Amino acid sequence: MTTTLTPPEEKSSEAVPPQRAKPKLPFKYRLSRWDVKASPYVYIAPFFILFGLVGLFPLGYTFVVSLNKWNLLTGPGGFVGLSNYVAELNDPFFWNSLFNTVSIFLLSAVPQLIIAVVIAAVLDQNIRGKTFWRMSVLIPYVVTPVAVTLIFSSAFDEKYGAINNLLQFFHLNPIMWKTETFPSHIAIATMVNWRWTGYNALILLAAMQAVPRDIYESAALDGAGAIRRFFSMTLPSIRPTMIFVIITATVGGLQIFTEPKLFNPTTATPGGPQRQYQTTVLYLWDLAFNRQNFGKASAVAWLLFLIIVLFGLLNFLISRRIASTEARSSKRKTAKRLAAYNQNKIS
Amino acid sequence: MKISRRTKGAAALAGIAAFALIATGCSSGGSSASSSGSSTDPITLNVTTFGTMGYDDLYKQYEQLHPNITINATIIDTGDNAKTDWQTKEAAGAGLPDVQAVEEGWLSAVMQVSDQFNDLSQYGANDIKDRWVPWKLAQATDAKGRIIGYGSDIGPEGICYNSKDFAAAGLPTDRDAVAALFGGDSATWADYFTIGQQYKAATGKAFYDQSGFLWNAMVNQLKEGYYKTDGTLNVEGNAQLEALWTQLSSATASGLSANQTAWDWGKGKAFTDGSFSTFVCPGWMLGVVKGQVTSAGGDATSGWDFANVFPGGAANWGGSFLTVPTQSKHPQEAADLAAFLTNAQSQAAAFGVAGTFPSVTAAQSDPAVTGTNDLSTFFNNAPLGTILAARAKGVVAQYKGPDDSVIQSQVFGPAIQEIDSGKADGATAWNDAITLLNQLVVNK
Repeated sequence: MTTTLTPPEEKSSEAVPPQRAKPKLPFKYRLSRWDVKASPYVYIAPFFILFGLVGLFPLGYTFVVSLNKWNLLTGPGGFVGLSNYVAELNDPFFWNSLFNTVSIFLLSAVPQLIIAVVIAAVLDQNIRGKTFWRMSVLIPYVVTPVAVTLIFSSAFDEKYGAINNLLQFFHLNPIMWKTETFPSHIAIATMVNWRWTGYNALILLAAMQAVPRDIYESAALDGAGAIRRFFSMTLPSIRPTMIFVIITATVGGLQIFTEPKLFNPTTATPGGPQRQYQTTVLYLWDLAFNRQNFGKASAVAWLLFLIIVLFGLLNFLISRRIASTEARSSKRKTAKRLAAYNQNKIS
Repeated sequence: MKISRRTKGAAALAGIAAFALIATGCSSGGSSASSSGSSTDPITLNVTTFGTMGYDDLYKQYEQLHPNITINATIIDTGDNAKTDWQTKEAAGAGLPDVQAVEEGWLSAVMQVSDQFNDLSQYGANDIKDRWVPWKLAQATDAKGRIIGYGSDIGPEGICYNSKDFAAAGLPTDRDAVAALFGGDSATWADYFTIGQQYKAATGKAFYDQSGFLWNAMVNQLKEGYYKTDGTLNVEGNAQLEALWTQLSSATASGLSANQTAWDWGKGKAFTDGSFSTFVCPGWMLGVVKGQVTSAGGDATSGWDFANVFPGGAANWGGSFLTVPTQSKHPQEAADLAAFLTNAQSQAAAFGVAGTFPSVTAAQSDPAVTGTNDLSTFFNNAPLGTILAARAKGVVAQYKGPDDSVIQSQVFGPAIQEIDSGKADGATAWNDAITLLNQLVVNK
């Protein structure tokens, strides 16, 4: 537009011959340059197009829904701004679901990672039938969560379950696995651990195997025992993998749905008779499909998304901080020792 | 730089094209109605049912009668899952079948969007509407008087009892004597709980599996349940409802409830180990009882029988309808199929297969219904069809509001569990239920 209004001033400069003449490249050469520059984008395009379609678009659409009063069946019922978010942040059931989620997450993630590290360390040793053991720890992961939940749900049954039968055999009181808060969280965390421990162990094992063996040998020659080697060498070297495992465990743990949904599928309220183990995803499912409140359910979905991002960042910062302080303190220690050594030498 | 911008453009173009594809895909699914075609064009009718409705042989018959029609049947395991399936497709605006089975429990949700279903009176409902018991037809008629579904089965309720347990407690075991024991035609809940106390005193065992089914029956027997007929809520301050709650919770507190998990019952073991001796049995529940007993390793000798009596008068629980969503491209053919599946002959045949008691009056006296079958053999040769026909007399359709199922499951469900497990007494549980009601339904 502006070019038509203002007189073209470039003409004069054009009259001056260009300082560097641009040779016209042959088509073949241009094509190959285009190929080098553009092809990578074309190759990764399918992912981003798909991500936009099934990831980004639903995310945006969910946000639009969350700003409206929206019945699942009768559809949108008017723009309400952020009031769905306000209502959910004041809803005790939302906070209850968040408490349950975090509680189950902590009960599962912490023991799971500790056990996974131990299993990985054991598998890292020179044991007989390596492949057999390695495949064995992955088997629980291969079984679908629905089947796992069915089996555990029947084992944890309050009246007829194997675990309570065993307790009663030893004249102990049966535990109300399905109707009390803490026992139900333990039961669900057990299912999660059963499924994910082996998987995490294998990832950690891969990281451990990447640690150069000669360092271990020299440490052993210097007199470091197996435990000392594990804590001072194995753990620090697998830290990046640990961070990855922790973050994926966080994302997965905060989105837990199948296990609590199917733990006691016949209960009238999903997630326990008094919502004892109704996790946030289960709560949002309940809101959308039992209470037909699509607007509020979308608001919960977004709140959960923000919470997961927050947790992820927090995890990242903490694990990075641990990494850097350790490095710093070890540097300081080395410096101190070096100074002391030098002093001794001088004196 | 220039080049990469061009690729961006190409990517954007591809994205837009993909969106457009999806958009047009949706719209072509949404546009419906119009062409019903001549009666000889080959067409496929999609039918979605749930549980066991006993239609498989009827589909084959229909296909033989109408060579141009192919029936593509989908069976979903439970009514609840069928509800989720329907809701999702309804909300998405695409994917519904030509004939959709709807359960009474979520009929109120369907009625919220009754304009999404064809008015069957345009497809011949007026010619056949006398075949059903009147209240069944009333249930399937929406506020504007449109008939949106053909009734399939109904769930008149009787009492299942275990004759072995009754004998151990010194109670009569013959089904007519048991019916008389509970008070026959004038049986009340008070009678039922009194006999429960006797049973408990004699055996030390619980009388019913859990309180939820009893509460469900008590509410359904009222003239107005959780909603008044004008559509307003009718729970808080409803003295009649609260009196029933007090009656039920005090009986439960005295140990008459076995506090079983409904629909699980320890994978059926509770039916065979004497945990309880009476059970609320709508027609379709008879098949469930048989299934539970069988899965726990029991059989006809486990002692279950069916008495022609129900405390508090006639009651109905459940039953289904066949509807034709407006998404169907062949509403006339779909309506014809639904009419065929719900005629007297088909309903009698389905009863023999699945125990679903007919909502069609003529089928209720059909020999296939009143005679013996596998199910009646299991229940000590009880004349199931005859008893259910007697139990269906006097049932009235109660008005169900849009949140009826939420109140049943999420407001009173937790309260029932509280009294069953002894976590709270009746009064506390009632107050908890009112709190939940305000939280979930009033201030939603």
